[in-house]
Amino acid sequence: MPKAFFIDTTKCTACRGCQVGCKEWKDFPAVPTKQRGTHQNPPDLTHFNFKLVRFAEHMDTQGKVTWNFFPDQCRHCLEAPCKSGASLPDSIVIDKDTGAVIYTEKTAKENFETIRSSCPYDIPRLNPKTKRIVKCDMCIDRVKKNMLPMCVKSCAMGAMHFGDRADILARAAKRLVAVQKEFPKAQLCDMESVSVIYLIADAPAKYHKFAVADAAGAPGMTRQDFLAGMFEPLRRAAKQIQG
Amino acid sequence: METIEVTLARELGMNPALGPLAAAFGPVLIFRDMRRQSAPGWQGPLPPVDAESFSGGRPLLPEAGFQYPAEGFQEAALALIRVLRNSFPGLAGELAALEAAMAGGRIAPDTLWAAAFGRDAAVEGVEPRTLAFVAAEAARPFVARQAEDLLAAARELPWPGSVCPVCGGAPHMSVLRKIGAGEDFITAHGGKRFLRCSCCAAEWTHKRVSCPTCGCEEPDELVVLRDPERPFERVDACKRCKRYLLCLDSAELVSVPPADAAALVMAPLEAKAVARGFRPLATHVWSGLVG
Repeated sequence: MPKAFFIDTTKCTACRGCQVGCKEWKDFPAVPTKQRGTHQNPPDLTHFNFKLVRFAEHMDTQGKVTWNFFPDQCRHCLEAPCKSGASLPDSIVIDKDTGAVIYTEKTAKENFETIRSSCPYDIPRLNPKTKRIVKCDMCIDRVKKNMLPMCVKSCAMGAMHFGDRADILARAAKRLVAVQKEFPKAQLCDMESVSVIYLIADAPAKYHKFAVADAAGAPGMTRQDFLAGMFEPLRRAAKQIQG
Repeated sequence: METIEVTLARELGMNPALGPLAAAFGPVLIFRDMRRQSAPGWQGPLPPVDAESFSGGRPLLPEAGFQYPAEGFQEAALALIRVLRNSFPGLAGELAALEAAMAGGRIAPDTLWAAAFGRDAAVEGVEPRTLAFVAAEAARPFVARQAEDLLAAARELPWPGSVCPVCGGAPHMSVLRKIGAGEDFITAHGGKRFLRCSCCAAEWTHKRVSCPTCGCEEPDELVVLRDPERPFERVDACKRCKRYLLCLDSAELVSVPPADAAALVMAPLEAKAVARGFRPLATHVWSGLVG
């Protein structure tokens, strides 16, 4: 049965338990950081940071400041454009039970820029040592044992939920109605095309540049479709060269 | 909550050594669950609840105990015998004798019901232990269903005891359950500890760091046994009274398994507890086979 996440940013307090929990479960080392005047650290996803809480501060014309938190991660798209952009059939696989989009060791043979550019959310990162392209794997090792993904398990605020897609969609829809009473602009981000559904209380751009997959301007086409189609010729060419 | 079948299928995939236990007791647990859902529940007015007495530690049920379900009990018992015949081929002869005795009127259904609660009963060709086992398993779904109705009547009242607030039975398992999320407020989502009655399957809350048998709360005397690969399961044991209690941390899980099925797959942990000299506070039907 396909699984999904529901991430309610209205309950996120940016404790970054999810960010740290992910690294701890995967036994990733610390990444050197620098104080840049923001709590967001490291500044972006890395090959050792599959989960990153993004901090975005805004001031409106009345001088009211809001501080938005966005616990970014791979969306595990239902039709993953990164898989469409891959040149090998089994470098990127979809787990049939959960829908998790998994990058295998064979991504080391893929063109990183092609894969990264195909992602509307700018998620894939390159491990410079192994050359593998890496990202969140839905903690597939835990989920196969009926255990919650580590980020969900770590969330002390109840902002993150994980379960069967149908149940998660119902939960998200119910929560959206409740949040919209106070925040009419609240929305669920790309819920029809992803397995990681964010609830945000304001415009997506006030959370993160890639909070949603914008339409690329092509009529009747989402950005995901556009990018997947755009890289199809490149992928075919790469295949021919590789033989 | 997932079904018993789904739980056992997944767990057997990860630990095939559970096969014989699952083959024997899985159908019994499935029978219990199905029959509990269709059982009639408490009939007529619920017993009056003396709030002060209850809050002082007196369980709900008077001495008379659970109601005998005149309709459906014999049929359920006969259906159970068919399940047990497949699960325990070694008992085939005794089960056949019991089935014949029931069909021939040599043991009345209410006598069998009473045997479930320790009253004397005898059937030729059936060992007393076998009779008691069949009677208890036949009664269990009806008892559990009645307990649901009874507990609902006292849910808002504080219960201080370590024994069952419905029937006074001892717990044989605890479950850490997430409390339902109130959407208006952020609340921590760790699990509250619910003890589970070995007799009627009622659940009630209890302190997490406390032995239900003797009340010990000393960290040095409370032992936790666990398999690092399965952090959602553990045995809580007490060095002071040498008793143990299984514990499922359902807050760790995607799908929460039924408590009885979760207890069955914890048999390896239970065996570890027995090997270290601890005894169960109350047993499951398979506990005698473990350790």
